[in-house]
Amino acid sequence: MQQTNSTASKMSGRHWRLMFSDQVFKWFCLFSAIVLCVVLFSIVFFMGKTGVLTFEFVKVTEYFFSLNWNPGFDETATYGAGIFFIGTILLTLLTLIISVPISVGIAVFLAEIAPTRLKETVRPILDLLVGIPSVIYGFLGLTILVPFVAKVFGTQLGDGLLAAALVLSLMVLPTIGRISDDSIEAVPQKYREAAYAMGCTKLQTIFFVVLPAARRGIVSAIILGMTRALGETMAVVMVIGNVPQLAESLVQPTSVLTSNIVMQIMAVPFESTWNYALFFMGFSLLVVALLLIVFVRIINNRSEVQ
Amino acid sequence: MQNLKDFKASKLAKIFNQFFMVSMWVLGIITVFFVLLLLFLILKDGLPYVTWDFVIGLPSEIDAGGGIGPMLLNSFYVTILSLLVSIPISLGAGIYLAEYAPDNKLTSTIRVCVEGLSSVPSIVFGLIGIALFVEYFQIGLTIIGASLSLAMLNLPLLTRVSEESIRAVPHSYREGSYALGATKLQTIFKVVIPVAMRGLITGLSLVAGRAFGESAVIILAGGVNASAEMWDFSLFSPGGTLAVHLWYVQSEAIVPDAKEIAHKSAAVLLFVVLAINLLFRIPLWWMERKMK
Amino acid sequence: MKKITIVMLAVAMFLSIFAIGAQARTVSGSITINGSSALLPLMLQAKKEFTARNPRVKMAVSGTSSISGPQSVRRGVAQIGTCDWDASTNVPGFKKFDGLVANKVAAIPFATIVNSANPVNNLTQQQLIDIYTGKITNWSQVGGNDAPIVVVNRAFGSGTRVNYTAKALNGATIIRSGANYKEASSSGVMATTVRTTPNAIGYIDLVYVTSGMKALSFNGVAPTVANVINKSYPIWGYGYMMTKGQPTGATKAFIDFVQGKTFQNGAVKKMKFIPIGAIK
Repeated sequence: MQQTNSTASKMSGRHWRLMFSDQVFKWFCLFSAIVLCVVLFSIVFFMGKTGVLTFEFVKVTEYFFSLNWNPGFDETATYGAGIFFIGTILLTLLTLIISVPISVGIAVFLAEIAPTRLKETVRPILDLLVGIPSVIYGFLGLTILVPFVAKVFGTQLGDGLLAAALVLSLMVLPTIGRISDDSIEAVPQKYREAAYAMGCTKLQTIFFVVLPAARRGIVSAIILGMTRALGETMAVVMVIGNVPQLAESLVQPTSVLTSNIVMQIMAVPFESTWNYALFFMGFSLLVVALLLIVFVRIINNRSEVQ
Repeated sequence: MQNLKDFKASKLAKIFNQFFMVSMWVLGIITVFFVLLLLFLILKDGLPYVTWDFVIGLPSEIDAGGGIGPMLLNSFYVTILSLLVSIPISLGAGIYLAEYAPDNKLTSTIRVCVEGLSSVPSIVFGLIGIALFVEYFQIGLTIIGASLSLAMLNLPLLTRVSEESIRAVPHSYREGSYALGATKLQTIFKVVIPVAMRGLITGLSLVAGRAFGESAVIILAGGVNASAEMWDFSLFSPGGTLAVHLWYVQSEAIVPDAKEIAHKSAAVLLFVVLAINLLFRIPLWWMERKMK
Repeated sequence: MKKITIVMLAVAMFLSIFAIGAQARTVSGSITINGSSALLPLMLQAKKEFTARNPRVKMAVSGTSSISGPQSVRRGVAQIGTCDWDASTNVPGFKKFDGLVANKVAAIPFATIVNSANPVNNLTQQQLIDIYTGKITNWSQVGGNDAPIVVVNRAFGSGTRVNYTAKALNGATIIRSGANYKEASSSGVMATTVRTTPNAIGYIDLVYVTSGMKALSFNGVAPTVANVINKSYPIWGYGYMMTKGQPTGATKAFIDFVQGKTFQNGAVKKMKFIPIGAIK
């Protein structure tokens, strides 16, 4: 206060300039922050606006529940996107089934079991895995995994949900693993000591004390992994086979929302039902991802309150 | 009797425990081994065969022996342009959240937006790119369209790392600066940012690596082609990057040596992404040595 | 008076010839070609030859599927959109594109292809129809090994698919799903799939038939350029370059070059395409 008074008494041009640039900078920062909100809102608004045009030509029930995706530019065209929604749900579930036990296992290993030096080596390696471009995962999947799957299952083609889920599992492993790792690490040491004092083995401590204490963190890790699996495009496109049909087995070419968008969007005119239907698929993905994030936020807020 | 039961139970518990510990070790070792094996596989099949001609050569659609020059150039060009657009905005937003933001509704809205934006699937940015640049501005699939769409993708992550690294600067530094009569602006630029530089640069390398390898956005907003000649810096050239080229060569191309080109492209792509993570840290080491 | 008029006319003619000559020598600009992957090899060859003569023209050529050709031209992404049908008219499944002009390139022969390890060499039209409509599902039913047939189809929007369905399959409706069914988004994907899948059957334009696959005879007639010209092999179609309105500038120069004698009798023939006037 005193400082302000003394400087205020020596009001000079320089001082005013400083005050002014201070304010301008503050406004610039606020403006930047608001730009982010504007970007998000315009994306949601625009995707929604374009996507909803689908329903001027297609019945809502047909779009979501029909499995007959046969778009085109004549009267026989049908826009049943059910296949892709089911495909995305199946793929995400399968990915989680494969990756959650492994990722949480890795997290437990890193946080509870591995000696410090090993921890410090493995963590950066997992972080490295996050940085590998998704086309490279897709490339590995296409050149190594798909022929392998075909051989193991004795099928003609190896593309399908299984190959895609395996590739995705590898991609979400570091996401789920590292965030769970952090939240397990954050469980207070005294919890563990209390469990040991009661004669628990390490296994019992981990399962009955540490994991329950870290469950909110682990759940948000799994949800974040899920958003990554939902939205992943190129790695999936390369191994899923891209046939708009419902998968009857895990090794049958099929399509999911993202792969179908990327395969068809370039071939359709912007002002067409087909294009709107693809935009609505993007919009659906967007809405689901946003809902999941809100969910994570609620979980985290609750754990802060407690 | 009771004691015996307890003893048995604890013996069983011990066996379970042993089994669990062993399986966790096996899991951990297999994972590390697997990751290293993957990196090795990618680099082994490609990197030894990469020549300078391949790196700066023009791609070929029919004959063997095509290069990846314009695509590789586009990768760097698009990444740098997208960062030039997104860094000022993200840094501003990060500084606002860390230094200015009062605890009110607006601030929590901004936070929700940052998190929301970071969850947007990358293909959605691609769709927006098509709608905005191809349909609305009618400029087609270009470098500038790809860069701006990619910049939107960079924003949330870059904002988050900026905020975190600025927040990590101890409060005493700022107080010291204010005590010397510095304004907030001077404090931020002369004290906070230099101290936060390490975190900022690590975050930047993360974002740059991701932007370099991004493919879904580029395929939709930049196309699968690059310029027909090398060193073409026009903003309106086709915006296909190396990551997109890898997909194109692997699945669409008809050149007889598509497989070799794909292997080499994958190796170069991975190599550059790994290098970005290292290179960004070099000025950092240099700065730290200078400070000592 | 007359003399002056004649002199002026002569001067004007001289100037205009000079102007045309100058224009021809200094064609410049940039051309983007997008569309049919069936025409891609030909367009790339044309680009090579054309830019050698006109170094100031910059060209980018790419190909995915026919529908993206007229689409890109309409969007203004490309000056030339290659398409395996005349996109300025209605064809089955596709509405015409208003305002686009079709410029013929060449006739494209299409071939039925199988993996080179497959012993089958010939299929009748009825056998093909039965395979593509799902009535025949095993190679042994058409004289091959006892192995399931993997049907590879091109995705919607492919000009190869439009032509092949109309001419080889007599307009039959191809199956759309199944465990042994796959769709290829471009000729490149088609070639890769057939090359790497032992029991696959697919179709592609003749120029793409390379190592790892072989072209089947149709009703006993081999898919050759000569058989297309003498009309014994019916699976072929014209390829077109679509432009927005009449072409001008560098685009016009390029189209003139592609339709010109040098290119039609040179690269077109060499690459197993058929010159425009050859089929009567």
